[in-house]
Amino acid sequence: MSEFVKEITQGDFEAEVARSTLPVVLDFFSTECPPCEALAPKFDAVAEQFAGKARFLKIFRQGNKDLASRLGVTGSPTLVFFQGGTEVGERMSGEEIKRTAIKAQVEALLAVR
Amino acid sequence: MAGKYDVIIVGAGPAGLSAAIYASRARLRTLVLDESVPGGQMKTTHKVSNYPGFPEDVKGTDLALAFSTQAERFGAKIRRAIEITAHDLSGPVKTFELDEEDHVEAPAVIIATGAKPRELGVPGESRFRGRGISYCATCDGAYFDGKEIHVIGGGNSAVEESLFLTQFARKVTIVHQFDHFQAEPVSAAEALESPRIEVIWNSEPRAFLGETQLERLRIENVKTKEVRELPTDGVFIFVGYTPRTDLVKGLVRMNEWGYVETQEDMSTDVPGVYVAGDIRSKRFRQITTAVADGTIAALAVQKFVKDHR
Repeated sequence: MSEFVKEITQGDFEAEVARSTLPVVLDFFSTECPPCEALAPKFDAVAEQFAGKARFLKIFRQGNKDLASRLGVTGSPTLVFFQGGTEVGERMSGEEIKRTAIKAQVEALLAVR
Repeated sequence: MAGKYDVIIVGAGPAGLSAAIYASRARLRTLVLDESVPGGQMKTTHKVSNYPGFPEDVKGTDLALAFSTQAERFGAKIRRAIEITAHDLSGPVKTFELDEEDHVEAPAVIIATGAKPRELGVPGESRFRGRGISYCATCDGAYFDGKEIHVIGGGNSAVEESLFLTQFARKVTIVHQFDHFQAEPVSAAEALESPRIEVIWNSEPRAFLGETQLERLRIENVKTKEVRELPTDGVFIFVGYTPRTDLVKGLVRMNEWGYVETQEDMSTDVPGVYVAGDIRSKRFRQITTAVADGTIAALAVQKFVKDHR
């Protein structure tokens, strides 16, 4: 994992996501999930591009089931976007998440701030 | 400066990686591009029982790793998690822009991008994707520990993945449009005997319903026209595949279902553009047939590259 991505647990959600002043992209991942493996380098690369402007967090789904079910996340990988602690934009999930699509959605969040 | 290769293979599934093994062993400078990690559909198949050379079942991820390790041993370069942001395959030099920054080129390409799980096109499907609807049992099965789920389909994938899902789910109900499975008899029998699997025959999904999460599945019996709604914790959809032809759309000849037409040597109408694997118009799509396509394409490309040097 790159230095631009931070792994959190559900106990950190309030501090890291809900109270973040920057837009947040939260990646739910699992083990034995090839699409998650495929997303990781793309996620790292986009995180680096937006360093200081948006936060890129990862959360291990198996260890954080309560948060996953509270947010209604049932697949890995799933990217959930937050602005001012509220979920915004379209979630992205599955194997077909493109680097350019993540970038475009983060840019859109930054534009409305 | 563009990275120059003899052949660029797009797609690191069994077709692309077999082509890479043959091409790199023939000392062609070989680049393989994949938007994901190597393995194609193999990597999300929990077990493979019919690939020769493995007397016991082999995990799809292990088979995928074996293919890619073998290709890399002979010098093929595999670039993972790559997005092709621009390309031109029409001329004598085939070019790709990668991740908006990098450029690579070669006189020949083998497009082995395969096929992806087909969507049903039923209302609610895209809305609940990742909110109860899934297309990958190995990825998402564990989310449904102790839950009651539904599987749509009745072919090999639907039946075999249903069996896999019984490891997690308390109950798996298969909804199938016909009155029998299309799956191989061995798996079909196993599913019919499983105490955790039930089957609703002659029925098709009509809508996925819920507030923020998938809660109910509406199905119609195609014989009696009876419509009913079933409460569900999750739905896995395995209803076949659709070819991934974005790179060659409008360039090469395709059949009415969108699969690419080739000659016996995997060449297309465009010189230097070859296709292999599930993307190709053919009767059977198996790992073994993808491997054969990839082999033939790489052998044909060897001659093509030599003749055009």
